[in-house]
Amino acid sequence: MLDLAHISAFAELRSIGDGRGVIARERRGIAIATVMARKGQGAALAAAVKEQFDVNLPLGPHGSGSDATSFLGTGPGRWLVTHDAGTPRFVDSLAQQLDGLASVVDQSDSVGLLRLTGPALLDVLAKGVAIDLGATAFPAGSVAVTQIAHMGVTLWKVDEAPTFHIAAARSMAGSFLHWLEASAALAGLAVE
Amino acid sequence: MSTSYRLASGGLIDRSRPVSFTFDGKTYGGYAGDTLASALLANDMMLVGRSFKYHRPRGIFSAGPEEPNALVTLRSGARAEPNTKATTVELFDGLDASSQNCWPSPHFDLRAVHQLAGPLLNAGFYYKTFMWPAAFWEKFYEPAIRASAGLGALSALDDPDTYEKAHAFCDLLVIGAGPAGLAAALSAGRAGARVILAEEDFVLGGRLLSDTTQIDDVSAASWAAVAEAELAMMPHVRILKRTAVFGAYDGEYGAIERVSDHLPVPPPFMPRQRLWKIVAKQCVLAAGAQERPLVFPGNDRPGIMLASALRTYANRFGVSPGQRIAIFTTSDDGWRSASDLQKAGAEIAVVIDARAEVAPDVRKLAGNALQFLGAHVSDTSGYRRLTNITITDSAGQTRSVAVDTLGVSGGWSPSIGIATHLGGKGNWSEEKSAFLCSDMPPGMQIAGAAAAQWTLADALEHGALAGAKAASHVGLGLQTQKPIVASDEASGNNPVWLFKGSRRKAFVDLQNDVTATDVALAAQEGFRSVEQLKRYTTLGMATDQGKTSNVNGLAILAGEIKKTIAETGATRARPPHVPVAIGAFAGLHTARHFKPTRLTASHAASAAANTTFVEAGQWMRAQWFNAPGETDWLQSVTREVKAVRSGVGICDVSTLGKIALCGSDVGTFLDRVYINTFSTLPVGKVRYGVMLREDGFVMDDGTTARLSTDHYVMTTTTVNAGKVMQHLEYCHQVLWPELDVQMVSVTEQWAQYAVAGPKSRDLLRALLGDAFDVSNEAFPYLACGEFHVGNIPLRLFRVSFSGELAYEIAAPAGHGESLFNALMQAGKAFDVTPYGTEALSVMRIEKGHVAGSELNGQTVARDLGLGRMMSVKKDYIGRTMAAREALIDPDQPTLVGLRPVDRSQRLRNGALLFARGVTPAPDTNAGFITSTAFSPGHNHWIGLGLLARGPERHGEIIRAWDPVRSGDYELEVIDPVFIDAEGARLRA
Amino acid sequence: MRIPCPYCGSRDASEFAYSGDATLPRPAPGNADAMFDYVYLRDNPAGVHREYWYHAAGCHAWLKVTRNVSTHEVIDAVLAHDEATL
Repeated sequence: MLDLAHISAFAELRSIGDGRGVIARERRGIAIATVMARKGQGAALAAAVKEQFDVNLPLGPHGSGSDATSFLGTGPGRWLVTHDAGTPRFVDSLAQQLDGLASVVDQSDSVGLLRLTGPALLDVLAKGVAIDLGATAFPAGSVAVTQIAHMGVTLWKVDEAPTFHIAAARSMAGSFLHWLEASAALAGLAVE
Repeated sequence: MSTSYRLASGGLIDRSRPVSFTFDGKTYGGYAGDTLASALLANDMMLVGRSFKYHRPRGIFSAGPEEPNALVTLRSGARAEPNTKATTVELFDGLDASSQNCWPSPHFDLRAVHQLAGPLLNAGFYYKTFMWPAAFWEKFYEPAIRASAGLGALSALDDPDTYEKAHAFCDLLVIGAGPAGLAAALSAGRAGARVILAEEDFVLGGRLLSDTTQIDDVSAASWAAVAEAELAMMPHVRILKRTAVFGAYDGEYGAIERVSDHLPVPPPFMPRQRLWKIVAKQCVLAAGAQERPLVFPGNDRPGIMLASALRTYANRFGVSPGQRIAIFTTSDDGWRSASDLQKAGAEIAVVIDARAEVAPDVRKLAGNALQFLGAHVSDTSGYRRLTNITITDSAGQTRSVAVDTLGVSGGWSPSIGIATHLGGKGNWSEEKSAFLCSDMPPGMQIAGAAAAQWTLADALEHGALAGAKAASHVGLGLQTQKPIVASDEASGNNPVWLFKGSRRKAFVDLQNDVTATDVALAAQEGFRSVEQLKRYTTLGMATDQGKTSNVNGLAILAGEIKKTIAETGATRARPPHVPVAIGAFAGLHTARHFKPTRLTASHAASAAANTTFVEAGQWMRAQWFNAPGETDWLQSVTREVKAVRSGVGICDVSTLGKIALCGSDVGTFLDRVYINTFSTLPVGKVRYGVMLREDGFVMDDGTTARLSTDHYVMTTTTVNAGKVMQHLEYCHQVLWPELDVQMVSVTEQWAQYAVAGPKSRDLLRALLGDAFDVSNEAFPYLACGEFHVGNIPLRLFRVSFSGELAYEIAAPAGHGESLFNALMQAGKAFDVTPYGTEALSVMRIEKGHVAGSELNGQTVARDLGLGRMMSVKKDYIGRTMAAREALIDPDQPTLVGLRPVDRSQRLRNGALLFARGVTPAPDTNAGFITSTAFSPGHNHWIGLGLLARGPERHGEIIRAWDPVRSGDYELEVIDPVFIDAEGARLRA
Repeated sequence: MRIPCPYCGSRDASEFAYSGDATLPRPAPGNADAMFDYVYLRDNPAGVHREYWYHAAGCHAWLKVTRNVSTHEVIDAVLAHDEATL
């Protein structure tokens, strides 16, 4: 049978510099989908998500999630859903669960995902992100679709450690790592 | 023998940390805390350069960023940085600097002969003196002037250091950490505001470092240190030292942080400089003020300096720049400088004040020095250093006094440049003798000397008030604070703009060698506005942007044209307020990182196969694969085309834009954006579509597949993917929000490969086995389908760009490299050949498919032979405008195929087309060649072109005229489809 | 310049694509004269404009931004979709 091995987007992620100013890990094997509310079905969709996932569907740029599945607001009537419990064909089943209420499009391979934390993280992110990521303006749970060094990214703050998850386009993973390494090396980029 | 001018004690330098540096190859000593200028002065190195035009000896003039003279080249080799102000360079061990604009040295400069040519080099000289003969300008005069005039030279080597950018957000940005800035930061910080305090210097304090005043019963410098310590303890306050705010922009400020300019070589990973974009809700501009020089004959000699600079060198750096000093002033501040210098142990020989009356307590400041009131300096002497000044007293009597240093003080000019960057204007205040700004950028206040609050007490009070006000503007309560108590000081001033005397040049702008005579000449010649004066005389240009010269220059102009200073006005200040290296604006985005690069899943495998890549937008695409022994791209491309046409080839087409369109109204939506109909497309089928802009011209083309009832996937051309997405979202969100349509880009999700050629089905059958039936019956031309291999979803489309039996197979991008390798592996038995964009292009030209060269923004569907696709049963974007008379005119150039009459002739894109026998001219031009290729099948060059009445002219011989490349040859007009016109291969 | 995206919040103008006058309704099909005006004719007064901006690098929403083109002051921004469905 046809054997198609999978290569993760950030397979080239490397430590650079001394220290652990930024600690990075690639999140692998995450199912990702764009969920878009069907015309006039916003309220029904929110109710379905509440019932089936026990998640309050965020109406703004925030994340909300159960143990394994997070709904991140990325635009009006649009969410990025991530699932890390390894359910086979998760996106297909999500599409069935939300049939008629939302269009569900698989994006699992469109982005690479990084988990970033560390004492220098906010200073490093400030070298790319033109939005205020401080605790007041961007508390844990906040989501931003924005750009870093001219590359589109989706980022969300997991906690005030701070820990961020960042999704960056797979085709630009090399350019993204160049930005990350160049920006974090002084404080030290440690890969776990 | 050089003498040490370092005072025995005093100053804020660290005498326990000696530092060694070189200037023009000689080694000198200084201390940590010195600037290059203070260290040079301590070593009796007053003369550090030659002037711009006349190559006159020039010395250090100031102690700060306004310095016009002491420009040096810092470091050497690739790290050399010309035009650096010695007065702002923080001294470090191993610093290496050299003088510029002089040869062989500042002490003996051969180009000083320019001084003899002085009359030829007056205002606007390059418009006048060097005009005849005209041909000499470009060949002789200009190169000669450029070689001898000017500033430092670039190394022309690649900069080995890095630069970066960063963003910051705050409630309050405080620009300048002098008394007003520190007070503002303290009061806002104590109220809980997020504050950024940016200071250009490497120590906070501003004038507090140069003063002997007392604040809250401690020395001013100690107070600054305590204030800094308190601010540093506040987690919501960020102090940026060595950071110059250089501009106010819409909604944000630009600042440049010199991160490692004070280090010999940046440590690993440390950028040299960091460009900050600061979004601040409020701003306090506390940039201080600059002392104005005085304009009098012979006022440019080394040893003539700003009086406040003398004070700074003595108080902050423990250096007395001279041994016998005179002060020439129109302000009380000059007397304060005299007092401080005396206290530091320097000898003040004489104080000359142009004012006839000076308050007794001010006069007391001069101690036992000689005093002349109502007097002025009318001449000076000394070539490489001042030796004598001539004083004309109130009775008109002259006398000469031997001094080696003259401090000049003409009052102060507030530094309001940044406040005027968004269109604000400086207004002359007669009371303060200064330009003030009242229409600042939104959220900005000006405090301290920048608002002509001259005394220390005023600056502290208004600074604190501004900080508190800023905090209250962002919703933080005003706290009552203990007032800061500072010692009192005199601040009277009565400016005099020009003093008469000897016939020597009286310089207004030291950096550009502009004299009072030049200003008068410009006014006499009709250059009567300040902006004209600036361009004509160069007054206020170059690195210092006239920080010491602008006000004097326009005041002298005002006198010449008999207007007030208020009526004359000031030139507009524009960012950047201080010079900023281009490298800082580029940041990380240099060389191959100039823009992000997008790589397809097969990139690594292709690169391993010795592939030549081409940029397509941000993408890197395989252009052709170099097989062993191939030496020419045409060889490789011809081989690839032949392999596809006779067997099977694989091409990565992942870069095409892919947009998922979902919802019950997608068919209706597509009918409105495409010229042809999609609502009738059956599930499991693909259709080619063309979309127009609203003006009727073609925007993009591509295929759209219907995967299920409510799910379509559209492809766009690689370069238009973003533009099409934007257009579709406009159509949905703005024009037809009532439709049930959702869309999202899936370009990144899917790796997609064209498998083309008569053996493509065999290859796919070998690859997929029972997983999917690829037979012609089950999966005919323009079919599409989805299936799984294990849990991996795959998509197959039977579409062809080459004109051969062909498929496109897609897998999630993470499986893309494996799929490419699997295709190559399964294709071995069929001699599979990977092919690139060049072969793709050759085959689409052979097939008569239009692409980027024809979709050039100037063609309508009809021009491309696609007119019959334009539905007449529905409205769609662009339909109305495409029906305009000129766009349906048969004379409009239309797509044709072209082949050379002489089959050995090479065709070139862009050649113009004419009927045989007509003279090539714009009005006889009938079109042009859009695309050309060497067709391996026909064994000659072929082309596509746009030709007036093209479809009627098949069989006609026309002329291709290509004067740029000396081409002039005959072409036969034929159908644009060169192969398989009936499409049998597609459906095989 | 910063633009207050109603969904995303305050963002740098570089995240947006500018697309001109947001006050012109698309004319009915077939009205060539009205379509010509709609496509080509624009007033350009000093002062306050209503403009389309597309949040290309953010939420992909089309915005109607009220902006003073003389001062660059951004006065207001709303989702074009919301206005279109009123």
